[in-house]
Amino acid sequence: MNEHLRPEEAAQALTEIRQRQQQVIDLAVLPTWYWWAIGALTVILAAGVDTNTPAAIGTTVAVFVLGILAATGWALAGTLRHAQLRDGLVDRRGVAAILGFVALTVGITLGLAFALRATSVSYPATLAAVVGGLGMGIGGPILMRRLHRIMLANRAGSPR
Amino acid sequence: MSTVRFDDLIHAPTRLGIVSLLAASQWADFKFIRDSLGLSDSALSKQLTILEEAGYVQSAKGSSASVPAPQPGSPLPGTPRSNDTSRRSRKLSPAPA
Repeated sequence: MNEHLRPEEAAQALTEIRQRQQQVIDLAVLPTWYWWAIGALTVILAAGVDTNTPAAIGTTVAVFVLGILAATGWALAGTLRHAQLRDGLVDRRGVAAILGFVALTVGITLGLAFALRATSVSYPATLAAVVGGLGMGIGGPILMRRLHRIMLANRAGSPR
Repeated sequence: MSTVRFDDLIHAPTRLGIVSLLAASQWADFKFIRDSLGLSDSALSKQLTILEEAGYVQSAKGSSASVPAPQPGSPLPGTPRSNDTSRRSRKLSPAPA
């Protein structure tokens, strides 16, 4: 055992450790295109609901489900195939950020849709989904950056 | 009572890189570690064997490797946790803490 590690060696080792841990954490960040894809699929689903015909609803539901599965599978393939993040990297702050994002997006979209329907606007669900989709496209990457910061802060060896 | 001390075994740059990648992971596959560190298959296998024998890493079927996860904010590992090499299982699972 070497009991006399020089400070510069220790600093170099710590830098190496942080960089390598970040490589793993970077794998878990969903790409920006994913959020726009989910937003677009939501608009397609809402358009099907607004047309109110069985054929349109059936088609758009199928597109929505298959699209979600394909986009999610594609986005997560790199992460799940190569490494799994250890527990504890996403702490309560991360969970709160995720739940807050979901609640905000769903709340605004549904609230707007009901409000538009109450005022007899045509295609209320579609219009509300466009707003919700924009929220996902813009807010998703912001959420990812927040989660990324939280995970970096929770790396082993990070100051608390 | 255990004493925290520096371990030369994981200070070698390659092994430090492997352990650091795994410190953020439940598990990682061989290819990911190899490509991240720019190593050949044989070079990585050799280093993994050393780490496994020292109890830092557990390899499993599917060419994956895992390491006990340190607690957030805890010091980085300084001493081998186990010399038990019997855990060289071919099944993918994290090494017990």
